Amino acid sequence: MNNPQQTARVGLFFLLGMALVWVTYESLSGGRLFKKEGYTIVAGFENLEDLKVADDVKMAGVSIGSVEKTRLSKGRAEAILRINPSVKIPSDATATIGMAGLIGTNYIGIDLGSPGAAPLADGAEIRTKVTPDINKIMTQLGDLGQKLEGALGSFSTAVNGSGQAGGGLFQKLDRLITENSAKIDATMSNLQEITTKLNQGEGTLGRLINDPKLHDDLVATVGELKTAAGQAKTFIADAQGIVSQVKSGQGTLGVLLYDEQAASNLKGTVKNLKDLSDKVARGEGSLGRLINDDSLFLSAQTTLKKADRALDGMNDSGPITAVGIVANSLF
Amino acid sequence: MKQLRSILEGIGSAIFLMLRSASFVGTIPSQFARVIEQCYLIGYTTLPIVAILCFFVGSVLALQAGYSMQDFQAQQFIGSLVGLSMARELGPMMVSILLAGRVGSAVTAELASMKVYQEVDALVTMNISPERILVLPRLVAVLVMMPVLTIIANLVGWYGGAVVCRYTGFIAIGPESYFAAVRHVVKFKDVFDGMVKAEVFGFAVVLVCCNIGLNTRGGPREIGASVTRAVVASLILILVLDYFVTKVLI
Repeated sequence: MNNPQQTARVGLFFLLGMALVWVTYESLSGGRLFKKEGYTIVAGFENLEDLKVADDVKMAGVSIGSVEKTRLSKGRAEAILRINPSVKIPSDATATIGMAGLIGTNYIGIDLGSPGAAPLADGAEIRTKVTPDINKIMTQLGDLGQKLEGALGSFSTAVNGSGQAGGGLFQKLDRLITENSAKIDATMSNLQEITTKLNQGEGTLGRLINDPKLHDDLVATVGELKTAAGQAKTFIADAQGIVSQVKSGQGTLGVLLYDEQAASNLKGTVKNLKDLSDKVARGEGSLGRLINDDSLFLSAQTTLKKADRALDGMNDSGPITAVGIVANSLF
Repeated sequence: MKQLRSILEGIGSAIFLMLRSASFVGTIPSQFARVIEQCYLIGYTTLPIVAILCFFVGSVLALQAGYSMQDFQAQQFIGSLVGLSMARELGPMMVSILLAGRVGSAVTAELASMKVYQEVDALVTMNISPERILVLPRLVAVLVMMPVLTIIANLVGWYGGAVVCRYTGFIAIGPESYFAAVRHVVKFKDVFDGMVKAEVFGFAVVLVCCNIGLNTRGGPREIGASVTRAVVASLILILVLDYFVTKVLI
């Protein structure tokens, strides 16, 4: 039973099996199962979400390594990334956690960074950026939904009422309309009547709307108003000219208002006048006495009476006695 | 109670058998021819049935997955599903079940008839340990052959899935896309875990079958009963061990 042919078959079979194992190993792991190739970098995040060991690390969409380990350190979550040795990551590149599919496959995405930046060394830390967590977004959406529901509920309560007395807006409106339907009907018919009249040109408002003459009058009035406005403008311009002249001290009024010399002269004149009037009032001087002293008046009156008599005598005795009469009346 | 006792007796005698066989490990080079013979029986002759079975297991897996996934338009994940299922579970499992049915039954029948016809007693009388020449070569052969059978089972299963994906109308996934999905999800660790599983299952199956065969008492009728018992025990053992080994390997 045991012959060389059988042994050869077993040997061949075993070698074939081992070759298949090797081929599978090479094609599935790229020969990187037991020996660790490449270098590691650390990516710190606030939350690693669903990131698992062996998830992909991609740079601009190209797979460049895998997540080797996840751990908590220094109050944050850290992912240790093993990067292929042929890939250099610029120090200003940023890592984010991305989601590859709806079934929750995550990966770390690294952007290209700037080409001139120095590459990250083994064990260095890469800059990270927080990406919005889908769960957080969902929670916020849920909150929003609840608020919306609450708002719609209160709106619905306001509109439809919640069973208490008085009812909601629509019920109140409905009741208002039902109770006042007769009044509303009357109002509507009045309105209709008014609009009909307006349309037919009846009444003041109707004529206002329908009469073309009124329009012409209105246009003429506006024209006149325009002319008046023009005149007013001219007047105001003149007035402004006068005011500016006055301001610049030209003319009598200007001198009066702005010339200090003239003002002081005027003051002196007024003062003199005042002194004069005071003296007159007190009866000082000729004029004062003339005004205030009755004796002069009486003397004059007497003189005039005497003169009158003398004249009467002259008439009677002729001109010869005129001198005698004058002398008589004077002495 | 009696059954429980027989189960415990079976476990205990199997462990003793393993330990006694292990004590003869140094004699392996001297009985190399026997090991090769057992390798031929266990590996080489089992290959066709393993290949056929796993091809169709992979095909059916792809077909069912495609049928279920067409509602979600997720056909591109069939490769991942078939790849991972075959590598981690179905490949080792199917190989072990075939081993129990094809090799385990033969081993039990052979050893039980040797026992019934007192050939084992004759060996003992000649101071030749039956564990050394009957059990150890088989255990060594199964350890050598199981990885080979498992990797062939995996590859054939994956290939079966690829064929189904290519030629089924409602799946229509090309081999490149299919194998890209396989490579994306299946790591060599998964395949390696599967081979570790297959080693454990194969070793347990051969050990149990040898144990039941050597413990056969009575006449020729007992040979058939022992074979039945050996195959049933092997299948149960495979499923029970599967859980624990998977748990350890995850």
